[in-house]
Amino acid sequence: MSVVRVAGVKKSYLAKGKVVTEALRGVDLVVEKGEFMAIAGPSGSGKTTLLNLIGALDTPTSGTVEVDGRDLGTLSPNEQADLRRDRIGFVFQAYNLIPVLSAAENAEYVMGLKRVPAAERRRRVAELLAQVGLEGLEEKRPLEMSGGQQQRVAVARAIAAEPAVVLADEPTANLDQATGRALVEMMRRLNRDRGVTFIFSSHDPMVLESADRVVRLVDGKVASDERKSPGEPQAASS
Amino acid sequence: MRLLLAISWRNLWRNRRRTLISMSAAGLGLALIVFYVGWIEGMIGEAKNQLDNTGMGHVEVYAKGWRPRRPVEVALADSKGLLSTLELPAGADAGARVVARALASGAHGAQGVTVLGVDPERELRLSKHFGDVRQGERLAPGDGRGVLVGEKLAEKLQLKVGHKLKLMVQGADGEMGVDVFRVRGIFHSIAAPLSRATVFVDAPAAQKLLGLGEVAHQLVVQLPDATQADEVKRAMEQRLGDRAEVVTYAELMPALLEIEQMTGTMTVVITLFVYLLVGLGIMNTMLMSVLERTRELGVMRALGERPRGIVALILAESFWIALLSVAAGLALGLAAVWAGADGSLLDFSKSTESWEMAGTVLDARVRTAVAVRPTIEAAALVFVLTTLIGIYPAWRISKVEPAKALRAN
Ligand SMILES: Nc1ncnc2c1ncn2[C@@H]1O[C@H](COP(=O)(O)OP(=O)(O)O)[C@@H](O)[C@H]1O
Ligand SMILES: [Mg+2]
Repeated sequence: MSVVRVAGVKKSYLAKGKVVTEALRGVDLVVEKGEFMAIAGPSGSGKTTLLNLIGALDTPTSGTVEVDGRDLGTLSPNEQADLRRDRIGFVFQAYNLIPVLSAAENAEYVMGLKRVPAAERRRRVAELLAQVGLEGLEEKRPLEMSGGQQQRVAVARAIAAEPAVVLADEPTANLDQATGRALVEMMRRLNRDRGVTFIFSSHDPMVLESADRVVRLVDGKVASDERKSPGEPQAASS
Repeated sequence: MRLLLAISWRNLWRNRRRTLISMSAAGLGLALIVFYVGWIEGMIGEAKNQLDNTGMGHVEVYAKGWRPRRPVEVALADSKGLLSTLELPAGADAGARVVARALASGAHGAQGVTVLGVDPERELRLSKHFGDVRQGERLAPGDGRGVLVGEKLAEKLQLKVGHKLKLMVQGADGEMGVDVFRVRGIFHSIAAPLSRATVFVDAPAAQKLLGLGEVAHQLVVQLPDATQADEVKRAMEQRLGDRAEVVTYAELMPALLEIEQMTGTMTVVITLFVYLLVGLGIMNTMLMSVLERTRELGVMRALGERPRGIVALILAESFWIALLSVAAGLALGLAAVWAGADGSLLDFSKSTESWEMAGTVLDARVRTAVAVRPTIEAAALVFVLTTLIGIYPAWRISKVEPAKALRAN
């Protein structure tokens, strides 16, 4: 079953009514449930734009985006907000967390929006934070945590409400190699153990290697779409 | 809801300085308004309740037809008997006065005055100045020859205690009445007209001078509480019937009531005016603080917060600012009103001796009083306005598309 379906999507950014950038020039993409997929491409190739469109944060100039079987173009802003809350998890490059909330409060934020009872939220957050290796840091505020720890909280928050897909836009870009790799490994584990669908962007070869599938964007078009065969061993570099 | 209040409360203290400035601007504005209405309230209260600065009554009774020309022969008969039949509330003071225009002449000049023929014992409780004799002695009951003059009149006619003063009137029969009195004392009044042109004599002496019997032109009743005036008036009208005209202080000083009513409107107008200025400042500050957080609010949108939720968050922040401002403003303002209740804060006695307000005269030391309604109104208005200030920044930020907000730094 496909979780994300992008068909013929174009996106132009306008300034004063004039097209200044054609960020996406006709993208087709289908992502199945349980995939661990990367979007690769140099800076400016349209990765963020594509993820924003899939995440119902922006609307395409033409073409359709479906998430979990729903055509985003038919949804009102409130319905889009509810869809993000219920079906999509987000991890951004940096400054992901709400600075005035503790790690635990950040992690339970989306569940709060969904009106999950407080006791249930607390139970799930404790379990999740343990799973992402943050036991004991529940009460820390974002500024008291390292970049890697913050990204783990962001991942915990993204998966806490059990979305259909987690969109992660260059989640490791602000982390050092080792921390970045650890984060991706953790995402990989969540993908395997809990079946969470991940779509993440990166231009870091090391990060891309861990993906089952790499869609390469160049100048707003899909230049290649490669799948690792299931048996192929994980590259063990560096 | 709880999370919303928690986030907004914590957001408030991210820029402590900015929040404190906003709060003190709004709070100080409110404190000033509270103090201002407390000042007015103090003056109105004094004007209403402390009528003894002028000797006016909360309720006054005249013979029908005496006002406004004040003909000497139109008088209330049997004034003593009349006084004793009045059923007045506990703590009320009452007295009868004979009133006449006269020419007062001494060795060094003459001056038109109002002669008040009074019962000295009763008048002591009705007129502060009657008892405030600075030279000589008070007027004694039964003193048929004594007269009390004000300081300004004494100065003008160069009168000293013991001097003679001739009072010339038009009597009840239309003939001239003349009598010579001796200055027993010189009184002090904070009301210049009283000091300049009022003299007191014993009531029988005034009656004799005017060729009248045991009558009075004016009954004066001072009440412990001005709000009783209407009720007392109604009771007296029933008792006295057609022969008398009964009026209240409010009818004698209509301007006082107008001032009181105006204060209500003024409070709203001043509050709005103050908040036009203060509010713009706070709005600017809030807008800045919200735009600085564009990205963070974009993240919240991405997580599934509806635009409405963002608006609620920003409004919750202005709600907190409003709550704290009003609490601080009320505390400060009421503290100032309380501190000024003994007249120590608004003491203008160095520059003037008295205020004139709406036809009455007040002490230069203004005793502030809590103006309950205007204070509540101002606080409510400040609370609502300050909370509403959040609307514009909230609306602005909720219009930013999430994708755009996320690209902001
Ligand atoms: N809001 C915007 N207005 C104008 N141009 C934009 C905007 N956002 C992105 N772009 C442009 O669109 C292109 C694709 O950007 P983006 O999707 O951010 O690429 P990537 O994430 O791969 O770096 C770039 O040329 C970028 O400058
Ligand atoms: Mg990008």
